[in-house]
Amino acid sequence: MSSPGEAHPLPQRRPHWGPRLSHVNINVWRLLAFLVFLVVWWAVAKMVGQNFVPTPLETWQAAIQTYSNGTVPRAAMDSILVCLAGYVVAAIVAIPVGLLMGGFRVLGSTLEIYVDALAATPRVSFIPLIIVFLGLGYEAKIVVVFLGAVMPILINTYAGVLNSDGELIEMARSAGAKESQIFRTIMLPGALPYIIAGLRVGASLALINTVVAELYTAVKGLGGLLSIYGNTFRMAPYFVVVFTLAIIGVCLMQSLKVLERRMGRWRYNSSERN
Amino acid sequence: MSSTTVQSLPVSTSAAEEPAITVRNITKMFKRHRSHEGILALRDVSLDIGKNKFISLVGPSGCGKTTLLRMLNGLIRPDEGEILVHGQPPVPGTHMGFVFQSFRLLPWRTIHENVAYPLQLHGMGKDEIHERVMRYLEMVGLRKFAESYPSELSGGMKQRVALARALVSEPDILLMDEPFAALDAQTREFMQFELMKIWHQRKAVVVFVTHSVDEAVLLSDEIVLLRPRPGQVSEVLKVDLPHPRWDYDARARPEFVELRRHLWERIKEMVAADPQSEFFNRDGKSDHAAAQD
Ligand SMILES: Nc1ncnc2c1ncn2[C@@H]1O[C@H](COP(=O)(O)OP(=O)(O)OP(=O)(O)O)[C@@H](O)[C@H]1O
Ligand SMILES: [Mg+2]
Repeated sequence: MSSPGEAHPLPQRRPHWGPRLSHVNINVWRLLAFLVFLVVWWAVAKMVGQNFVPTPLETWQAAIQTYSNGTVPRAAMDSILVCLAGYVVAAIVAIPVGLLMGGFRVLGSTLEIYVDALAATPRVSFIPLIIVFLGLGYEAKIVVVFLGAVMPILINTYAGVLNSDGELIEMARSAGAKESQIFRTIMLPGALPYIIAGLRVGASLALINTVVAELYTAVKGLGGLLSIYGNTFRMAPYFVVVFTLAIIGVCLMQSLKVLERRMGRWRYNSSERN
Repeated sequence: MSSTTVQSLPVSTSAAEEPAITVRNITKMFKRHRSHEGILALRDVSLDIGKNKFISLVGPSGCGKTTLLRMLNGLIRPDEGEILVHGQPPVPGTHMGFVFQSFRLLPWRTIHENVAYPLQLHGMGKDEIHERVMRYLEMVGLRKFAESYPSELSGGMKQRVALARALVSEPDILLMDEPFAALDAQTREFMQFELMKIWHQRKAVVVFVTHSVDEAVLLSDEIVLLRPRPGQVSEVLKVDLPHPRWDYDARARPEFVELRRHLWERIKEMVAADPQSEFFNRDGKSDHAAAQD
């Protein structure tokens, strides 16, 4: 038993360059990093040859073109739709199943091994099968995204429930809590950080699987564009698609971070103290 | 050796009336990981606790104080023997309050929500919950921190929250596992005083675990001294100081001094004679070895 009131060592502040620089907005630094990136990119393009790597300027021009004629936005909407649909279904399935597995130990122990097996199987191996059954339409792609995202969310949710604090459960029991109340008031909130971590891993896997599915089916979405531009060696618009994917990824992750912060206020309080 | 002036009681202590809590010959064994032999936490412990009595459990670390409290609460069952609370086997609920040795606050709930927790479990109305929670937060001096989270509080403050949470359902049995251990000296004295007042106002059975002999003598009607490995009742001592004890300087009374000295020596003997103790065979010249955990 940890002794109450144990002394913590004073938190060690990482050394920084004094108050002057910390007042500078972080966005200024990000912009600076971006400029460095552009210079490096430009140098690489010049060295490798512009048939393989377009210069930043060429990419910018291609971006204006593909955005103004609607090619990339339309494809992006397509991809986002597929990605979100698969992801949301994955979350809707995975969280309750993970909670049930954690809540009913027999169910959890029974299914655990199959969940692990499925999680370890490369999901790409299912794609040909899915195409056979569902064709090249939205359904097939949504299923691929679903399969990619469902496992990390499920496994994290399950682990979160299993890791619930035995001492807190005993406290609840001592206060007269019923099993269902213990689950709702102790295990579920305790698992929340795990669930959110699972949702984050699931989100990036959903995006990856969206592109993989579109590359396979090769007609629509950003993955479809990648395949078209790649096969015809149009590297400038190809890069535009890559950057678009990156931006979508950043947006997805940022919105999940906001969610995490809102749900777990207490955790941020504690990290501010240390 | 033990003093002769201290009045040592038979195990069954209280007045003629039927006791509130009866502990009959209980034995509790804990299984150990990777080992066939278990560890005997308590052996053949019997105890009667009278109505509205304030009982302290004292004894060296590992003598089964926490285990006994958990059994009184009905959280775990004895392997042998029987416990009766008001004539029934104990069932956890709001009629009993438990202050755990570790604070056990819910980190995702504010202080207010933590204290409200036992009341919410039993469907009390919002307004009544709020009124009660604020009353007890006021009592432990944490009204201003109602909207803070546990991570923003010091150890002593957390312990006072845990205390408020145990008191908020106004139980008639209060089980307290070293509830003041994390408090600084002034706060501790203040909380002892508050506890005496509460207990005086609305009588309850209090079973109070402490390592502080001084605290045990100051607060209790009876002190149960436990001996470790296996945990057994060593002796039961009656504290014959009149209540309320804040009216006079109880610590200056000769009975107080004598009882404290007696307990201190007994515990020191136990610790020095226990081969598994970290302080085995020290001749106990330093009182701290026995007095503090
Ligand atoms: N859940 C458990 N599993 C295994 N052994 C346990 C468990 N709880 C207690 N024990 C053992 O039972 C004995 C009594 O433990 P207990 O916690 O009741 O002691 P204690 O008197 O409260 O000690 P302290 O003063 O240090 O809090 C110890 O030897 C401990 O190792
Ligand atoms: Mg203990």
